[in-house]
Amino acid sequence: MHFNLSEERKMLRDTIERFLSDKYSKIKNHYEYSTLREGYNVKIWNESSDIGMISGLIPPKYNGLGGSGEDIMIIFELIGKYLCVEPFLSTGLMSSTALISCRSDENQLLDDIISGKKIISFCHSEIDSRYDESLVKVKAHKNKNIWHLDGTKSFVLNGDQSNIFIVSARISGNQSDKNGLGIFKIHAKDCKIRPYNTIDGYRCSEISFDSVPGKLLCSDERAYKCILETIFAGTLAVSSEAIGIMQKCFDLTIDYLKTRTQFGKSIGSFQALQHRMVDLMIEIEQAKSCVMLAAGTYNSEKNIKYRNISAAKNLVGRVGKLVAEECIQLHGGIGMTWEYNLQNYAKRLVMIDHLMGDSDHHLEQFKKYSKY
Amino acid sequence: MDFNFTEQEINFRNEIREWLSINLPKNITQKVRKYQRLNKEDYEIFMKKLNENGWLAINWPAEYGGTGWNSVQKHIFEEEIVKANAPRVVPFGLNMLGPVLIEYGSEKQKQYYLPRILNCEDWWAQGYSEPGSGSDLASLKTIAIDNGDYYLVNGQKTWTTLGQYANKIFCLVKTNTNCKPQEGISFLLIDIKSPGVEVKPIITLDGEHEVNEVWLTNVKVPKENLLGEVNKGWTYAKYLLTHERTGIAGVPYSKKAIDHLKTIASEITKNGLPLIKDPLFSSQIAELEIDIKAMEIFNLRTVSAASEGKAPEMESSLLKIKGSIIRQKTSDLLRKAIGPMALPYISEQFDEGWNEEPIGPAYAGPIAKQYFINRKISIYGGSNEIQKNIVAKSAFKL
Ligand SMILES: Cc1cc2nc3c(=O)[nH]c(=O)nc-3n(C[C@H](O)[C@H](O)[C@H](O)COP(=O)(O)OP(=O)(O)OC[C@H]3O[C@@H](n4cnc5c(N)ncnc54)[C@H](O)[C@@H]3O)c2cc1C
Repeated sequence: MHFNLSEERKMLRDTIERFLSDKYSKIKNHYEYSTLREGYNVKIWNESSDIGMISGLIPPKYNGLGGSGEDIMIIFELIGKYLCVEPFLSTGLMSSTALISCRSDENQLLDDIISGKKIISFCHSEIDSRYDESLVKVKAHKNKNIWHLDGTKSFVLNGDQSNIFIVSARISGNQSDKNGLGIFKIHAKDCKIRPYNTIDGYRCSEISFDSVPGKLLCSDERAYKCILETIFAGTLAVSSEAIGIMQKCFDLTIDYLKTRTQFGKSIGSFQALQHRMVDLMIEIEQAKSCVMLAAGTYNSEKNIKYRNISAAKNLVGRVGKLVAEECIQLHGGIGMTWEYNLQNYAKRLVMIDHLMGDSDHHLEQFKKYSKY
Repeated sequence: MDFNFTEQEINFRNEIREWLSINLPKNITQKVRKYQRLNKEDYEIFMKKLNENGWLAINWPAEYGGTGWNSVQKHIFEEEIVKANAPRVVPFGLNMLGPVLIEYGSEKQKQYYLPRILNCEDWWAQGYSEPGSGSDLASLKTIAIDNGDYYLVNGQKTWTTLGQYANKIFCLVKTNTNCKPQEGISFLLIDIKSPGVEVKPIITLDGEHEVNEVWLTNVKVPKENLLGEVNKGWTYAKYLLTHERTGIAGVPYSKKAIDHLKTIASEITKNGLPLIKDPLFSSQIAELEIDIKAMEIFNLRTVSAASEGKAPEMESSLLKIKGSIIRQKTSDLLRKAIGPMALPYISEQFDEGWNEEPIGPAYAGPIAKQYFINRKISIYGGSNEIQKNIVAKSAFKL
């Protein structure tokens, strides 16, 4: 047994860390990039392709240089540490996973993802589908041998900059059937797009289809499997991202406890607060361990893989909320201000509980995949 | 033991409820309900109406224009205004400065300031905290030098709530630095329009402007604006902080929020069922409801004791701690209830008259924002940690 990264992975991590630190230490906070017209910094995205940060998310079989659970964990932990807003989650990981698990012949699209040429978003959630993987109301119907889609997808990450959407749609069956689903490739220019910012400073869109033509990539069992694979990849990614953020919140708070004085001493000298920090440290180690387990079993058989990812996301949801709330509290008034960066981390951390299933959802998934 | 309100109290509640239903402008309750931004006039219109009816100063004795109500009546009143979606009664003049003036102010000060508070001529802000002095308030640095007929004030106050609307601020200042910190503090009434006062916004994590920095540079404050005696400010400050804190648990807010939560949880579906029927989620709502019920009775026990003349001491701290945790838990469950619909943030929707289509149901819009801003409840007015220190010290004598 060993828990160390290989030399190669250490190098990958150091390269990415240097890159993100360089790009993100120049700015006041991530809003400087996320409020650009594109919702992220295009130059950083392109350069990230050059250093292998995108290909690190994609397996060698598809011309990538990584794609293992560990690669995803390393890259997204750093994305969390710097609150990086470029489309690694939507395009780099989720769309590539969707394309691969569809077994489609769209290898050119994968190449375009790796080279940073195309932004592709995976559209699955609908406004009231909550975290349900099979609840799909967007409809697909065939007209003169061409598939057309009708309906609206919600909370689509980087939707306003996408060239292509990978969309789940219902071909047949009831709205929550696991069968009767299809995965389609849609051109963004054919869709109605309503972009907005999220509470934590990222960019999402509502994407509406009004008889929009699409290409069927896969259907039925494979389509459902594709949705699961894609969502669970995303879940591992945001869980890892949360670990990077927790660590950052913790570090900011420890620093503050050392420098802030009240009653003639540093507030960090109060045992009541020291104990709170120790509790946080324990919980963060627990969450980190659970994410490591999920990353290490990413290529295992489905039940094990999904069970461990759900365990990680459940714990990350619980611990993330605790870390966000405690770190604000221990800062006092300063922690409530827009100006001070902690709030950006705290907000992202809590909002990760709203992406790909919250702690309750993953508790249920954990039970399901553990065959309770 | 009797958990019922008396007939008189019930009539009192009905009277208030009816008055509110007639007198509260609909456009204002709409804004409160939608968590939209309130402007100065929104607060003032409501307070002026209350004043016309003699219901504004619930913490003042009748001889100064207060209601003279007992604690139970105040409790009922506070509950009804929250339920009615009224703006909050801005507390700084009415519930903070007013009682201190009545207890310690000169006759002249009382006659001048109290009516102005009632008429909404003055909007007071609370100038206690400073950048270096939050929990350790006595360490404050703002200094007032005696220059004969005026004090020359220099320093900085911060976290000043609604200071952007205020024309007056009551400040704790240092008038003697050669003694124990608590013994060199005075209580000054300062006109914000005086030269040298500058109010700058602080934006909070929800993107809103509610708190401010107040900079004081060579501000001349007439001697007559000293409240009570020089160097006795700490006594007054503490009086203010302990005065009538039975409403501190915010029970009416928790009750309203859990009703809202239950409504939303009946509308949202999870696995084909209303969320409120989901075993996992409904258990969390139920636990919260039990907490709120317990807190309500705990609070009423204190209120009832207060109306019998037993002023709350450490109960205030206990109520503040648990009350804030419960309010925060309620906004946490609201956040969880709406799932991914918590993500979108459209700032314009919090302006009056916004009429675009929301993303998802309209109730979803403010929920994440409220969750984050409600973190303040366990920080301001003496953080929960400080409240615990107070209780441990005063109750256990460890
Ligand atoms: C939204 C908002 C509105 C406010 N409005 C006003 C206002 O109108 N007027 C005004 O004067 N002030 C106002 N305040 C200020 C408020 O009273 C202070 O923020 C509060 O007293 C805490 O002080 P601080 O922020 O400096 O935190 P600090 O005192 O620096 O505390 C930081 C952390 O250390 C903890 N801590 C400190 N000392 C101890 C100890 N001895 N033992 C254990 N833990 C300790 C605190 O609990 C906190 O968790 C407001 C604050 C907020 C956030």
